[in-house]
Amino acid sequence: MNKTKRICAIAIAAMLAVTSFAGCGSGDTGSTGGTTGGSTGGETTASTTGGGTTVTGDGGDPLYGEGANGTINLKVWGPDAAQEVLKGQCKKFSENMKAYGDVQIEVIPQGEADSAALVLNDATVAADVFGFACDNLNKLVRTGCLLEVTGAEKDAVIADNSEGSVKAATVTDKDTGEDKIYGYPETGDNSYILVYNKDYVSEDQAKTLEGTLEACKAANKKFVIEAGNGYYSCMFMFTGGLKIDGYEEDGETQKFTEYDEAKVVKTMMAFQDLFIKYKDNLLVGEITKVVDGFKSDTVAAGIDGSWNFSHAKETLGDKAGFAVLPTINVDGTDTPIINMFGYKLLGVNSSTKYPNTSIELAKFLAGEECQAERAEKLNWGPSNKAVAESDVVKNDQALSAILAQSANSVAQISIADSFWTPVATLGNKVSDTANPMDEAACSCMHRIAQSNYR
Amino acid sequence: MTFIEYKALSPADKVKYKVGEFFSQIPNKLSVFGKTIANFFKNLIAKIIAGFKGYGSRFANGDMATKISYIVMGFGNFTRGQVGKGLAFLAAEILYFIYMANFGLAYLNKFDTLGTVKTTQTINPDTGRPMSVYGDNSMLILLYGTLTILITFVLIGIYVANTKAAYEAELALKAGKKNLTLKEELADFLDGKYHVTMLSLPVLLISVFTILPLAFMILIAFTSYDGQHTPPGNLFTWVGLETFRNVFKVTEGASKGYTFVSLTKWTIIWAIFATFSNYLVGMILALMINKKSIKFKSLWRTMFVITVAVPQFVSLLLMNQMLQDDGVVNVILERMGMQPISFFNSTAFVARVTVIVINMWVGVPYTILQTTGILLNIPEDLYESARIDGATPVVQFFQITLPYMLFVTTPYLIQSFVGNINNFNVIYLLTDGGPSKNPNLYQAGETDLLVTWLFKLTMNSNDYNTAAAVGILVFIVCATLSLITFNLSKSSRNEEEFS
Amino acid sequence: MIKSYKLSRTISDIVIYVVLGGLGLLWVSPLVWLVLHSFRKEGGVSVPYVFPKEYTLDNYLDLFTKTEVFDYPRWFLNTFVVAVFACIISTLSVLMVSYAFSRLRFKSRKTFINIGMVLGMFPGFMTMIALYYLLKAMNLTQTLPALVICYSSGAGLGFAISKGFFDTIPRALDEAATIDGATRNEIFWKIILPMSKPIIVYTVLTSFIGPWCDFILVKIIMGDKRDNFTVAMGLRKMTEKEYKQNYFKQFLAGSVLVAIPITVLFMKMQNYYVEGVTAGGVKG
Repeated sequence: MNKTKRICAIAIAAMLAVTSFAGCGSGDTGSTGGTTGGSTGGETTASTTGGGTTVTGDGGDPLYGEGANGTINLKVWGPDAAQEVLKGQCKKFSENMKAYGDVQIEVIPQGEADSAALVLNDATVAADVFGFACDNLNKLVRTGCLLEVTGAEKDAVIADNSEGSVKAATVTDKDTGEDKIYGYPETGDNSYILVYNKDYVSEDQAKTLEGTLEACKAANKKFVIEAGNGYYSCMFMFTGGLKIDGYEEDGETQKFTEYDEAKVVKTMMAFQDLFIKYKDNLLVGEITKVVDGFKSDTVAAGIDGSWNFSHAKETLGDKAGFAVLPTINVDGTDTPIINMFGYKLLGVNSSTKYPNTSIELAKFLAGEECQAERAEKLNWGPSNKAVAESDVVKNDQALSAILAQSANSVAQISIADSFWTPVATLGNKVSDTANPMDEAACSCMHRIAQSNYR
Repeated sequence: MTFIEYKALSPADKVKYKVGEFFSQIPNKLSVFGKTIANFFKNLIAKIIAGFKGYGSRFANGDMATKISYIVMGFGNFTRGQVGKGLAFLAAEILYFIYMANFGLAYLNKFDTLGTVKTTQTINPDTGRPMSVYGDNSMLILLYGTLTILITFVLIGIYVANTKAAYEAELALKAGKKNLTLKEELADFLDGKYHVTMLSLPVLLISVFTILPLAFMILIAFTSYDGQHTPPGNLFTWVGLETFRNVFKVTEGASKGYTFVSLTKWTIIWAIFATFSNYLVGMILALMINKKSIKFKSLWRTMFVITVAVPQFVSLLLMNQMLQDDGVVNVILERMGMQPISFFNSTAFVARVTVIVINMWVGVPYTILQTTGILLNIPEDLYESARIDGATPVVQFFQITLPYMLFVTTPYLIQSFVGNINNFNVIYLLTDGGPSKNPNLYQAGETDLLVTWLFKLTMNSNDYNTAAAVGILVFIVCATLSLITFNLSKSSRNEEEFS
Repeated sequence: MIKSYKLSRTISDIVIYVVLGGLGLLWVSPLVWLVLHSFRKEGGVSVPYVFPKEYTLDNYLDLFTKTEVFDYPRWFLNTFVVAVFACIISTLSVLMVSYAFSRLRFKSRKTFINIGMVLGMFPGFMTMIALYYLLKAMNLTQTLPALVICYSSGAGLGFAISKGFFDTIPRALDEAATIDGATRNEIFWKIILPMSKPIIVYTVLTSFIGPWCDFILVKIIMGDKRDNFTVAMGLRKMTEKEYKQNYFKQFLAGSVLVAIPITVLFMKMQNYYVEGVTAGGVKG
């Protein structure tokens, strides 16, 4: 063995000693495991990104100094249909904030229905401010993905928006019983009403379900209802006076308020009897069939969601009629159908690097000015009380109908994960005209739908 | 018994033989399987013990350089003319320490609790606005902790190999032989150790992207990761076998236990019907197409097989559209004066029959492709003699074709049975589990298989632990089935037949 | 006697033609429906009749011209690139693994084979979140390489069929070559591979088609990065509640365009496919 090799060996030993015992902290974290089998790299802990800045704002700075350290890059998610409007509004926000910092906003198309799933998947790459449907609120809050709305912002949200929309943004703390707000109401129209073709159904007929169905029969056209989906089928229960109210004490099962079971069963039976009577004119299926049916002139009326109103208007033009859900005759009384009413909220991602700017942006986008613009350009029903009173809304039959419906509805808040499937099952049963239930089966179904799973 | 001997039996005896054989083999197969598994672990433990014994004796007998290799990996090789090998060992060690210091150790430390500090929000006293205070993320701790453990095992393996290599190099020098240079060793990787070259990349990829996630998923079944304990806002922790207990706890009314039992029943029924309907229909069609007197063979085959080329998510979505209450199929039925059928929305029975029939549309072309070649290989003289005996084609099918095919394709059948147990696409895209008419099912509909239920559990209610537990159970059943059939099938036993 | 035999044969042939014709039509009818309605001009998602009333090319043109919301050409390109790379890595992996298991004898080979057999049976999507965070640790999420890794990393597990195929190649060939001084490496490249065209085509085909059909994994990995979607994911998105009413006909057109290349490829290589499966899949 020659000398040089020995020196080499000692050098290696020394090198190792240094690396392994002294200064392991330094060095490139991006290095890979190589021969050790796996490879990792990149960030040290995914959970340490972001973090609130502690720079004090100088009184008037709404960004609290976040603009002081260079450009603020924010990402915003909104649906495809609203891209243009949203981009304009974000641009305006950046201009407003010019004095305090350089805010660059990237607007990325991402629908409200899906956004919560993406945030839950990985909040650190999700948008800083995003729109979501209020039924996802609980999931997002439970997993800690949303920044709470507090202080002056909270007061403003409560003061400016309709009662239902504020309720939809509220979560009651399991431990303290305190009501906390986690979203900025953005719209007040995420629900469904009666849409009909004026050629076949008159405004008067559209007031009662019996009248509407009779009109469909007379015209030999269909009436569309989506019953195999808890979002729609809950109206069979709600119309009977049943209401839901947050969670039971375990924090995960749905709490149902006091109600008259006999009445609920009677109401469901009334629906079923009506469906059986008009079964040749009943089309149970996805709500897209309403507009499809208008296009092929096979459908006279149906229960359709607000996001399809523009398609209905496009297809029928002036013949498109919109009305609050009709009444149904239960035991001789015309009872208004009560549905589930949802809202779209803007949320601030709790992993955002710029919490103050994001809060400011969410506040702006959910504010009166932006809601008015959306009502005008996109026909979105507002949650803001002032905008709801504006002429734009009042002159639009669809918008005023859906806003009117919100009075006769159960807000889509604090819905347990386990709520939907059994209620969908119940809807399937009520609309199954081939195998009708008797009252006993009906009351049993309905009790199960409430019992929830443990 | 060879096939020819078997053929000589009378039909009744054949059935008796087949049935008898089937049942008599079950305990045998299971015990062989059990022994194989037991042996596997016995060997593994024996190997580990032997490894450590050698580890100790090498240290005692080795010289200074070998002893140093126990701390400084590769030292022994490096000083004995194997510079490249020595440096590679050393690099492994250094990289491991760097990895542990910068990444691994932090996660490993929290592995036993899966985190203790919850992520919360407080009001920032300076701004009066809320801000996040980041805590532990149980999921990342579990995932990266598992990764670290796996890497550590690999390093221990390399480390032991290093001591062995150092000692061997020492012995070789003592015996007066020259150690292989790096170049020579590399050359050996193209010949004597070619299996290492061939397997290392795939094994690496599979370890990182299949085994590690799998280990992670299996571990989740033993934690409390459900809808109420979803990170990043919540912590979850180890709960032992509780999840499994819940899956097996059948209570009255709706429960996970009830759902598991009822979905298992349907999954088995589905797998049996889906497998055999495809198998029989596909084979009959293949026979028809390949009948000598039939013309336009390639046209017929193309008509069926072309469906394989259309992505399933398209064709199944279309099927779903066409079978709606107001879909094309019902339009045609009505035109023909028949009652429309509510395929997906009436009873569980109708929906189940529908999915089995549609599954034939999906699966039969595959059977045609797979059996055509084998059908052509059936010895013609078998048919010849049957024809002389005056057997009709139907009789021929049941007396010759089917037994021969069953004899030859049992492994394929088992494979497609297992495949059908895990057939996600057909159910997910066609019915999404619907119709949901049984209120006692937890997060599931009447046509949900165990796999689609798993998907719903993770996507709708974040019940990851239940999903993982059910996944493990399904996995055990499938793995046992296929290991048994594979290891006892002719194809495995006669592996060397062609040598 | 002979006459009646002939007659019964003719009758049975006719029955077979009728059955094949009828079932064949049944089998292709959804595809015909797909193609016809991809040219449909009127209506939205569904129409209450079998044949479209008016035909147009607009659905196809819109796919390529109206790309602000759904950038179909880009997705198509993405998928193609991913499929090509995934296909190369998968094919190599499969061939390497199955060659090693079939021709080379080494310690614990059986154990490896058994482990490989069962690993693929765990429901795949269960591991998706783990996969996501692993890729994230490598800084690869929302990129196309991540998809390539996902689609090809586990490919080595699908060795069963090609191993079966390699098993059928006589070992005498290897032995003769070894005597001539060839290394195992040379045997693999120069003797085995040239003889394995059917199984190579089979492997290439199956691994190339994979990325065109998956949408579940893409959704998790790509998140909001729509530019990096694959066609399957994009088409799936068109059928979501928000877009269905507007984009369903484009979805049909897009599906036809995906199906065409795969179908052509498949038809061309069908015979290799049959040969490969038959030899490798179920040998007695």
